[in-house]
Amino acid sequence: MINDTVVELSRWQFAATALYHFLFVPLTLGLTVFLAALETVYVVTGKPIYKEMTQFWAKLLLINFALGVATGLTMEFEFGTNWSFYSGFVGDIFGAPLAVEGLMAFFMESTMIGLMIFGWDRLSRGQHLIVTYLVALGSNLSALWILVANGFMQDPQGAVFNPVTMRMELESFTALIFSHDAQAKFVHTSIAGYVTAAIFVAGVSAFYLLRKRHMELAKRSFRMATIFGVLSTIGVITLGDALGFVGAHAQPAKIAAMEAMWKTEEAPAPFNLMAWPNQEKQENSWAIQIPYLLTPLLTHTMDTKIPGIAEIEASNALRIKSGIQAVEALKILSSNPSDAAAMAQFKAHEQDLGYGFLVKRYAPEQDVSKATDADIALAAKDTIPDVFAIYWTFRIMVGFAFLMLAFFIFGVIYSLRNDVENHPLFLRFSLWLIPVPFLACEMGWLTAELGRQPWTVYNLLPTWMSASSHSVSYMVFSLIGFVSLYSIFIIIEMYLMVRAIKQGPDDHHAVQKQDKNTSSGGSVLGGNYAPVHAKTLVNEQSKEV
Amino acid sequence: MDLYLGLKVLWWLLLGVLLLGLAVMVGMDMGVGALLRIIGKTDLERRSMLNAIGPHWDGNQVWFILGGGAIFAAFPLIYATAFSGLYVVMLLLLWSMIMRPLAFEYRSKIPTEGWRNIADWVFLISGALPMIIYGAAMGNMLQGVPFHFDWDLRSYYTGSFISLFNPFAILAGLLSLALAMYMGATMMVIKTEGVLAERARAAGSFAILVAIVLFAIGGVWISMMPGFVLTHSVDPALAQTPLTQTVELVKGGLLANYKAMPILWVIPVIGFAGMIIGGLLLRAHRPAIAWWFGVLAWVGVLGATAISLFPFLMPSSTNPSQSLTIWNSISSETTLLWMTGFSAVFVPLILWYTSWAFYVMRGKVDAGKIEKDPHAY
Amino acid sequence: MKTIGYFLLFFVLAMIVIFLVIVMGEAAPWYFAWIIGTGLLILTSAAAGFLFDTQEEKSKGTPQ
Repeated sequence: MINDTVVELSRWQFAATALYHFLFVPLTLGLTVFLAALETVYVVTGKPIYKEMTQFWAKLLLINFALGVATGLTMEFEFGTNWSFYSGFVGDIFGAPLAVEGLMAFFMESTMIGLMIFGWDRLSRGQHLIVTYLVALGSNLSALWILVANGFMQDPQGAVFNPVTMRMELESFTALIFSHDAQAKFVHTSIAGYVTAAIFVAGVSAFYLLRKRHMELAKRSFRMATIFGVLSTIGVITLGDALGFVGAHAQPAKIAAMEAMWKTEEAPAPFNLMAWPNQEKQENSWAIQIPYLLTPLLTHTMDTKIPGIAEIEASNALRIKSGIQAVEALKILSSNPSDAAAMAQFKAHEQDLGYGFLVKRYAPEQDVSKATDADIALAAKDTIPDVFAIYWTFRIMVGFAFLMLAFFIFGVIYSLRNDVENHPLFLRFSLWLIPVPFLACEMGWLTAELGRQPWTVYNLLPTWMSASSHSVSYMVFSLIGFVSLYSIFIIIEMYLMVRAIKQGPDDHHAVQKQDKNTSSGGSVLGGNYAPVHAKTLVNEQSKEV
Repeated sequence: MDLYLGLKVLWWLLLGVLLLGLAVMVGMDMGVGALLRIIGKTDLERRSMLNAIGPHWDGNQVWFILGGGAIFAAFPLIYATAFSGLYVVMLLLLWSMIMRPLAFEYRSKIPTEGWRNIADWVFLISGALPMIIYGAAMGNMLQGVPFHFDWDLRSYYTGSFISLFNPFAILAGLLSLALAMYMGATMMVIKTEGVLAERARAAGSFAILVAIVLFAIGGVWISMMPGFVLTHSVDPALAQTPLTQTVELVKGGLLANYKAMPILWVIPVIGFAGMIIGGLLLRAHRPAIAWWFGVLAWVGVLGATAISLFPFLMPSSTNPSQSLTIWNSISSETTLLWMTGFSAVFVPLILWYTSWAFYVMRGKVDAGKIEKDPHAY
Repeated sequence: MKTIGYFLLFFVLAMIVIFLVIVMGEAAPWYFAWIIGTGLLILTSAAAGFLFDTQEEKSKGTPQ
């Protein structure tokens, strides 16, 4: 028997750990590429300032990278620990991109980042540049494979159910990796990372420009970041539209929720610029509409019909009835794979198998063959995700994207005129903008994954069935563990990041002083060090800042 | 031979290679972590130890991630059943593995004694605990794990968390920790100088002695334990679930494969030889070769375990007939083919650039450099 | 005021670019676009760096 509370807690845990992980990923994706651009300038011009810039931003990258790697481990574990039915059911397809990610991308990224940091004196300029490019490539290839896996959850391509092994099996690897959802989502996410890095670099540079410190580094970084950012933001908005276009075909319920479209409207449908969705009454309490805009925006045509939520729900009820037949046949096949009648029944209703699973949650004793019409109606209602949350997370993400676009355009104008340091208000604004891309990324994740509900694999496997059969106490234990560990981590990370930023790039002498202090105790390895008390040193530094 | 059967066997061997890579590369870093407080007395000594593995630990850790990913892709049902069944243990493993990268990156960034002391404790825990769990998990596989399946292959674990730490599992855990400490100590002898290297040599010699004793006790213990035997099953070359076979518990069954093919005794002998010769070479000031004999010791220990279990991977102690074998927990032919292709291309590539990275960063750790380099661990 | 004018100009330009790409790019080969785009992005921002140095040198060359 599946326990509702355990499923709910598993969802919270996964969402919390994934959102947390996703705080660090975008910056890594973008900053590695930005470093490649910086080092390119260094190698071409040979100006030491660009080496200093590369090393400084690499230092900040590394603080972020450590937590990204650490929290990424959690994600790889959690499919097995908390979503074991899911893992068994689609592992044949879903596991492959994760394994390839390790083989192709993560190994390269991790090995090369060690060389990038430690190899300055041991590699030639050209070699080091290649290493930096490989770090950028590696981190983005990591994202590629993860999003191929995610693309399968959103729009399962290239897989087929095998009743003999009772699981989804891979049919076409190329269909899996070239699925439109995976393609658009990877590029959208990767470029969102570029935007994040650009805002981050611009914001930190603005901080120095405000304080009139490290001007050479800050002005150059600001210039490169705004150009990097303005192009990336245009890209991210474009790909966002592409993703909506793909979703309109693959996930109609998600799109309807993103646009709060309860009833099917005649094409071209109006666009809900602002609305207050009410899930219970299946209507918007109020809405500001722009007529005719939604259809061309989503489908790029004027006459394609976009199904509303009510229509989707009604057609899903029919699929659930058919799916029940498939589940019943499957149960017979599980103990006797050669039962011809059961196989015939299964084949006839195979495409609705997932919908049959959907009713399990509401059926008496969780047995789908006992499901009543009332249970089926409940399950059909369940196929509509949380419209309010999706509508608004999506709106906030888009709003932030345009805010950042406007910011970058101003940034480019000021920077090209080379007088950005004379606009303190704008610089202060840049600093305040740093959290925005991170929030926008989180909102994007929420839109994509809340919109996928109630499925883990769209139309195939309900979230409710996917979770492991744990006890509630296990879940409480792990949740407490994650919350407390992750809270400590973020505090340390933020402290170190702020500290490294305040310290700035000219910290070579400061670091040397620190090390002398900590090596007191007479080492066999080096010469004599005058012990200095640690506390005084920390004070010195904070005064410096 | 049938292609699917061939792929199944190949991926069973590759799983072994991955677990070996994990044990050797991650285990070595873990061993260094566990020894950090023991052989590193001053902060600079400890930093020397950390910087010796500093440029590579990140790459080495990928073995762990790759191991998880490959089990997911090639043995999804093992991944699902083992990771969810051993929930608490897996989380402890995970949490200690998460703390380690942070201790690495952040330890030297804050120059207070208290902070670094905390970081060193984190290294100790995150070095010792994962290796104990790694070994204990193997120990539990040999004994069988209390789980069963529903008709739709939903798995249920019915044991308690504490029962995973039974005496045999603890023995296996300590064996894996001892081997990891030996590998870590050997690497320290290669990478550092003076008193630090001497202490590492002593620690490594002691660890390998412990490993020899534990491996011997484990062997005797296994000969007395009941083992699992397939009495009725679907043709291994066919796709199947664990719901269509019967399995019985037989006394001494864990040695059945050795009895059937006595040549297999070579594997545990290799394990002993690796440990003994490795230990002697370490004392004879030949740490680099000693490290490679340590690898051989791991080959022997993991190989002996795999042979005892074959064809099982994760037997069920409560419902033996639903035990997971190579044949019924593996991925489909298409997936295995693709994965084989990717491995054929990328594993040589990984080995090539990993050795290049080691080559670039070759030589002893320069204590003076650590002082100056703001990026040093 | 001039800044606002430039801003509006650039913003409209950006919108036109977005619109054009959207029209051209229904279910496009995005992976390919990403490789080309990222390469160009790196080069463009590197060029922005060069431009900055050129501007600096010029302003230093001509005393105010």
